[in-house]
Amino acid sequence: MSATDFLFAIWPAILAGIVAAFVPREMSPRQRVALGFIAAIGLASVKWLWPSELPAVVAEGAKAPEEWPHLLNLIVGLPLVGGVVVMFMPRQLLSLVRGFTLVVMAAAFLASLGLLTVPMTAGWHFNYSKDWMPGLGIRYHVAVDGISLWLVILATFITPIAAFASFGSIKTRIKELCIALLFLEGAMIGAFVALDLFVFYVFWELVLVPMYLMIGIWGGTDRIKAAVKFFIYTMVGSVLLLAAILYLVWANQKLTGQWSFDYIDLSRVVLARPAQMLCFWAFSLAFFIKVPMWPVHTWLPDAHTEAPTGGSVILAAVLLKLGTYAYLRFSMGLFAGPASSLAANLAGVAVLGGVLYGALVAWKQQDVKRLVAYSSVAHLGYVMLGLFGATPSGMQGAVLQMVNHGISTGALFLLVGVIYDRRHTRQVDEFGGLAKVMPAYATLFLIVTFASVGVPGTNGFIGEFLVISGTYVSERLGVFGGIHTVGAAAGVILSAVYMLGVVQKMFFGPLTNPKNKHLPDLTPREALALAPLIVMIFVIGFFPGVFLDRMKDAIDMHHSQFKTVSGQAVLYSDEKDAKLLPEDVFSPAFLDGSPSRMTGPKDAEPHAKNDAANGGAK
Amino acid sequence: METLRTLFPASNFALLAVILGLPLLGAFVNGVFGKRLGKEGVRAMALAAIGGAFLFSVVTFLMLPHAAAEGAPAEKLVWNAWRWMSVTGRMGQSIPIDVAFSVDAMSATMMLVVTGIGFLIHLYSVEYMWEDPGFARFFAYLNLFIFAMLVLITGDNLAVLFVGWEGVGMCSYLLIGFWFTDEKNASAGKKAFIVNRIGDFGLILAISMLVYYVGSLTWNGIEANAGALLTPVKIWPIGNLSAETLPGFLAKILIPAKPVQVYASTLVGLALFLGCAGKSAQLPLYVWLPDAMAGPTPVSALIHAATMVTAGVYLVARLSVVFLLSPAAMATVAITGVATALFAASIGFFQTDLKKVLAYSTVSQLGFMFIGVGVGAFAAGFFHVFTHAFFKACLFLGAGSVIHAMHARIHDVNKSQDMRNMGGLGRYMPITRWTFLISCFAIAGFPMSAGFWSKDEILWKAFSNLPLAPPASKTVPMWAWPANLGPAIYWLGILAATMTSFYMFRAYFMTFHGKFRGWEIVKGWKAPASHGHDDHAHDDHHEAEESLEGPTPRESPWKMTLPLVVLATGAAFAGFLMAEPIHIAPLGHLLEPVFEHASKAMTEREGAKGLMWPMMLPGLGAFLAGTGAAMYVYLNRAGEPERAFAASSPRFYKLLVDKWRIDELYDATVVGMVDALADIFTMADKWIVDGILAKLTAGVVALLGTILRAVQTGRVQVYAASMVIGLLGIGWFIVQPHAAATIDDTKLKQNGQVVLAAAPGLGYSYLWEGPGIPPAKDYSPVNQLSVRLDPGEKKDIVLHVRNAFERETTTTIPLARAGAKRMGDPGQNQVPEVRQLPTGPIPGERIQELLKPGGFQ
Repeated sequence: MSATDFLFAIWPAILAGIVAAFVPREMSPRQRVALGFIAAIGLASVKWLWPSELPAVVAEGAKAPEEWPHLLNLIVGLPLVGGVVVMFMPRQLLSLVRGFTLVVMAAAFLASLGLLTVPMTAGWHFNYSKDWMPGLGIRYHVAVDGISLWLVILATFITPIAAFASFGSIKTRIKELCIALLFLEGAMIGAFVALDLFVFYVFWELVLVPMYLMIGIWGGTDRIKAAVKFFIYTMVGSVLLLAAILYLVWANQKLTGQWSFDYIDLSRVVLARPAQMLCFWAFSLAFFIKVPMWPVHTWLPDAHTEAPTGGSVILAAVLLKLGTYAYLRFSMGLFAGPASSLAANLAGVAVLGGVLYGALVAWKQQDVKRLVAYSSVAHLGYVMLGLFGATPSGMQGAVLQMVNHGISTGALFLLVGVIYDRRHTRQVDEFGGLAKVMPAYATLFLIVTFASVGVPGTNGFIGEFLVISGTYVSERLGVFGGIHTVGAAAGVILSAVYMLGVVQKMFFGPLTNPKNKHLPDLTPREALALAPLIVMIFVIGFFPGVFLDRMKDAIDMHHSQFKTVSGQAVLYSDEKDAKLLPEDVFSPAFLDGSPSRMTGPKDAEPHAKNDAANGGAK
Repeated sequence: METLRTLFPASNFALLAVILGLPLLGAFVNGVFGKRLGKEGVRAMALAAIGGAFLFSVVTFLMLPHAAAEGAPAEKLVWNAWRWMSVTGRMGQSIPIDVAFSVDAMSATMMLVVTGIGFLIHLYSVEYMWEDPGFARFFAYLNLFIFAMLVLITGDNLAVLFVGWEGVGMCSYLLIGFWFTDEKNASAGKKAFIVNRIGDFGLILAISMLVYYVGSLTWNGIEANAGALLTPVKIWPIGNLSAETLPGFLAKILIPAKPVQVYASTLVGLALFLGCAGKSAQLPLYVWLPDAMAGPTPVSALIHAATMVTAGVYLVARLSVVFLLSPAAMATVAITGVATALFAASIGFFQTDLKKVLAYSTVSQLGFMFIGVGVGAFAAGFFHVFTHAFFKACLFLGAGSVIHAMHARIHDVNKSQDMRNMGGLGRYMPITRWTFLISCFAIAGFPMSAGFWSKDEILWKAFSNLPLAPPASKTVPMWAWPANLGPAIYWLGILAATMTSFYMFRAYFMTFHGKFRGWEIVKGWKAPASHGHDDHAHDDHHEAEESLEGPTPRESPWKMTLPLVVLATGAAFAGFLMAEPIHIAPLGHLLEPVFEHASKAMTEREGAKGLMWPMMLPGLGAFLAGTGAAMYVYLNRAGEPERAFAASSPRFYKLLVDKWRIDELYDATVVGMVDALADIFTMADKWIVDGILAKLTAGVVALLGTILRAVQTGRVQVYAASMVIGLLGIGWFIVQPHAAATIDDTKLKQNGQVVLAAAPGLGYSYLWEGPGIPPAKDYSPVNQLSVRLDPGEKKDIVLHVRNAFERETTTTIPLARAGAKRMGDPGQNQVPEVRQLPTGPIPGERIQELLKPGGFQ
């Protein structure tokens, strides 16, 4: 490609960069360049990721691009190793510690973009596995598919922003903060990519520690109580999860004679009915607490209120997604039977306890952060509804809504942090008429509000729309589909009620409180931290195809497998014994990820047979 | 033209991108760079954007492909931008949703109205808002509104329409609350958005149902597959509610003998109409529109009169194919329309705020439009949208012009809009007065004016049309229109028209005739130097109202009067675009292909033939009666009869002035209930959910800890004492003998043999007793016993145990063997059959049925 061709290809990005550089009225050239850069990158990435027919044609003849097997190790390892390196840095060199942290996070983000270079076909990508404790069948096994792909990128995308924003407001114990952030990032990514239940459990628990420290050290006045509440709540679920994992592994060992913690191997196990139900609840309760679903949601408002801004952002944007993701992956994957038969009831909880209850309680909150926390309960109600409904579009909507919620709620917490840094209060009554003194802040808040409310053209709409329309067509919800749809659609009204209510109280009306008269508008640092999120709000709103196309195959496979396995599981399982499902129930692309198969010689013959047997599943 | 056609072929009509892009560009530039551009720059950008959009809209209109031959469906101009997403349909089929736009005669006409009237109102606003500090912001919002409105009318599917639908709602929110420093304005904006959202709730439901039943969201797809909506749907009892799951008395009340079934088309139609009622301010969701007058007057003219609020009518007309499949939904639309028309007109009777009168008249006129589309006269309903845009925009801009003049001396928003402070302005503001008068004639239905043709057409169609029942299934009867519903709507419509002409002319006479009541006119009066033009300064010097002096009210500058003149011309003559009775109907011909299916689904009611001209007379009478009464009361008697009426029945008068206190009713019922529910939930969340899960469990753990801590005193004596107690307990246990045995009955089924093994212990010896056991003399260390049972036999074995301390105990072990039954007993011998599953996926419909037999619950 010659230079002129290159210039021609990227001119829209350059134009967007130039326009964005002129947007702010009072900023230094450096900050203008940064803002322009964000805009240019945003546009270029949309262009780059744009689904086009071209690669499909190319794929016919040429081989798919090689997947570098260590890429996931790199993404998981960078923050963890970075955290260790920071431990050995002198704490007096603040800028070195901060700069290094940001560089590591940026590197992890860039590395995670590498995941987008291969076509996301159904099945596992960047599969890597290595024996860890062979005697117990524990392997370090990581891989991504179209579902976890976006959550990994969400984690690597949000964490640097949260870190960048934290460095603006937190002035004490910077070194410890950096270590916590880096470990948190590594652990979250690890949990998203782990396919070995043991490894998953390790990462799942590892996430708790840095978050606990962040709330407990840099939090608000009541921080210790909130941190303990957060820890114990999640721990209760985790212990149950561990017990269920061990039982499942033991059952698998009895059936196959081999120890294995691998997700793909364990998927074939159908436990006896009572055990199946208990294990499903043990897994799901752990995940529901993390989501959080009603009635185990009350740790969230406390944790959010007390956490520092950066912690809140990561907590809301990424940590909660661990619960929804794990439900989709593990509860639905390992216990399809109960997940299917309980779907209608659970969806009822998601609609009543999440979408409606969460919204109504949010409406009555006086503390802005508590309000946003309850709005998270409502938004994640949509996500869970999409998962319970289990239609392809509902599940796509749910996964997209996970990303959306990460972006818009992350932005909301950043925005609340901005005003908290200035006034050291989050009580709505303290504000009023802020739009007069902080116009740029008010504008961004309004944009994010509309995204959160789900106005079309922003990201929130796409997720909610897919979930709601998926709910109505869902077979899983049976006769309740219609009622759930009505409830979920009614949530659309309530979200406007509480979000616009708080916007009006904070920004409109006369400027009565004298303390607010001279508040400075957004600082360049805050604006830069928010800019990528604002860009993403509109990118997802207008071009969701960029995201949906890459997750489509994975979702379709997961869905058809869930459908088949849940049917099989119901009929196969009996009261006493665990059983092993035949291999041809699963799609070969799914089983190919298993380490036992990866090492063995690939046999083309049975695959062809499986393909024929599964022809209708696609 | 030919070049344009080759450049923009009908199947890839990218010119739409320009039309849509210009206002969006204007919004972006004005919003972000507005302060730096300066007012002149903002003005140039805004006017150029909308003007350009208007020019290209005209080009689009001219390029509309004409129906090639009779009966052939007219082609549309289509621009398919990109694939937005795809959703899953009924049988797992994937339904693509594109960001696609299309133009046919109806949307092209709408585009002309939106951009044309939009341009005039932009021009007007330049003058009206010139002094406002938020000048750039205002035009950014206004341009954004035009963009959203264009998306709404050109969207090729329901999802894209929904983008525009919510987009205009959002712009309306921003513009109503434009002067946000006043709490009241911000609240009005919020109210508008939330009430609109209630409508959107219906629209989302309708979209979901269309996805399920029709499997398409594009206009063409819905039209092609709408027949699928004729499926009966059970709506009551919902879910798994049935006589078995409810307690008896409730079941008797709630569960009917036969489940209530309606057609999907009715459900979809009603859900759609809920959306339309929200956006177009129909009963019961009209309450936001009068409050929306808090926005700047040009906004009221553009958004809350001419364009946005008519979107509901547009949607019903656009999806006429769905409504035609459900006479019940159509009747709901028509009846709601006529009820709203009457109700809003009654409120409009005695309002004193000029803009409020116009607001209620808008609600009332929207009711007329819904009568039109409800009785199947889609073209007529849409035509009323068209004419109404002219005269109502003109009326609002005229009101704005008057308010602008009043602002010379009165700055309080409410007082400057109060007609009791006006009067006699016709003398000072001739252009405003005449254009206002022409529009009043149009809205009141003066013969040959725009409103006459459209309103008359609607009422005539209400009288004469009878929707044909669509082919229905045999099990569920299709609701059919009663024969006298049409005439009833007609006569009620006439009544509403009479009221319309009365209150419109009341407004006209109160504003432009009589004596000026605003202030004492002093020739050559000069404003005090400190005085600034600020709409919101609640200046103190208005307190002394009696002695207010001021200059002569002045006519507004040309930028404000030019739009008035253009719009008034339209109000006078636009009717001839579709004057059906005299067969001059170019617009009607253009719209014919759009509503072709609609005309096929309609028939003329018996007895209406040839009555077209006679049935115009009541309409004419309505105009004469209303106008005459208003003239008598307000011109000749200067409002004396109104005061007399207020004095004679003060409570009724007050009720009308207070708008039937519907807002208060809603506050007390719906809002109050939701509010109470939210309070209850918040309390429950704090004290019950969190209380039980967190505080109670923590309390239990703490209590246990407290108890255990009490023991952990650190005193050796206490520990030694507890050790001794423990040892004693163990010793007591050892000294006591315990008789217990494990029973091995694995061979019971085969040969009836049971082996008993007594539990061992310190120096235990055993003695077994029972039928068929050789009696032992003394205790022996043999702890095993084998017993044989015949089928059906029962035995009680007694076990004696003696321990090392010579203490004894006894227990009885009952044994039993099942009776001999015939062979092949299903309960005993049959191996549970493992059902052979179909490999591969199980079709979704079967899952429920497969679940039931051995399900978990």
